[in-house]
Amino acid sequence: MTVSRLVFDAAAVLTVLFAAVMVIHRHPVKSVLALVVSFFGLAVCYVMLFAPFIAAIQVIVYAGAILVLFLFVLMLLNVPEEARERDPRPIQRFLSGAALLVFAASLLGIISSHGAPAAPAASSPSGEVAPLARMLFSSGLLPFEALSVLLLAALVGAYVLAQREEAK
Amino acid sequence: MIGSVPLSDVLVASAALFLVGLAGALLRRSAISIFLSIEVMMNAANLALIGYGGALGTREGQLLVFFVIAIAAAEASVGLAIFVALFRHKETIDVNKINLLKW
Repeated sequence: MTVSRLVFDAAAVLTVLFAAVMVIHRHPVKSVLALVVSFFGLAVCYVMLFAPFIAAIQVIVYAGAILVLFLFVLMLLNVPEEARERDPRPIQRFLSGAALLVFAASLLGIISSHGAPAAPAASSPSGEVAPLARMLFSSGLLPFEALSVLLLAALVGAYVLAQREEAK
Repeated sequence: MIGSVPLSDVLVASAALFLVGLAGALLRRSAISIFLSIEVMMNAANLALIGYGGALGTREGQLLVFFVIAIAAAEASVGLAIFVALFRHKETIDVNKINLLKW
């Protein structure tokens, strides 16, 4: 058990734990704050897997931008705490719980039987960013440019959707 | 193995994270919580992609995760705009009370 494996496992446990806190908590703002901690743990996992660039954008884009957007919307709408009333749809709840258990069992079964890749690693991984950038702007150039159009479309779409009725 | 982290650890962490997200998406009633759970599931997929990419010694996994994060940003902005519009109309984001398309 080496140090980096220990750090990875600790960060992964932290990530899953705080994601569970997010799911369990009824107060939406506290849910989002738990998810921020979870995403920081995930960034530590990425560093341990030699992906420091992804760890950086995980913190900047996910924890920094997307979750702050969630917080803005929660505070703008003043979303109340989820009521502790009985669920009006008990059958659906039971079925989704059963489906969850079946899915968990099949997922763990698949991982334990077919988890490892057929071909082992050709080269030892390194955390350099430059080769990733070279790949992004050569083989990944078309999706990269398509993504910029998608982001523009999302910007316009969000503006139109959130507009007030009388402004149209 | 990625460095000294075995792939099985990565996959188990990813599966656990995905299941937590799935449980949230299925069992919660607030639309914002469901949306956050979907983000958690997406992050679980990202973790598996980076784990497999490291185990195979390529950077394709990291490239894919980069695109997934950018698409998640676009998705979050449009989704939250839908919630804002929905809240203006119905004064709630409880998915049980939003039944416009149901008979």
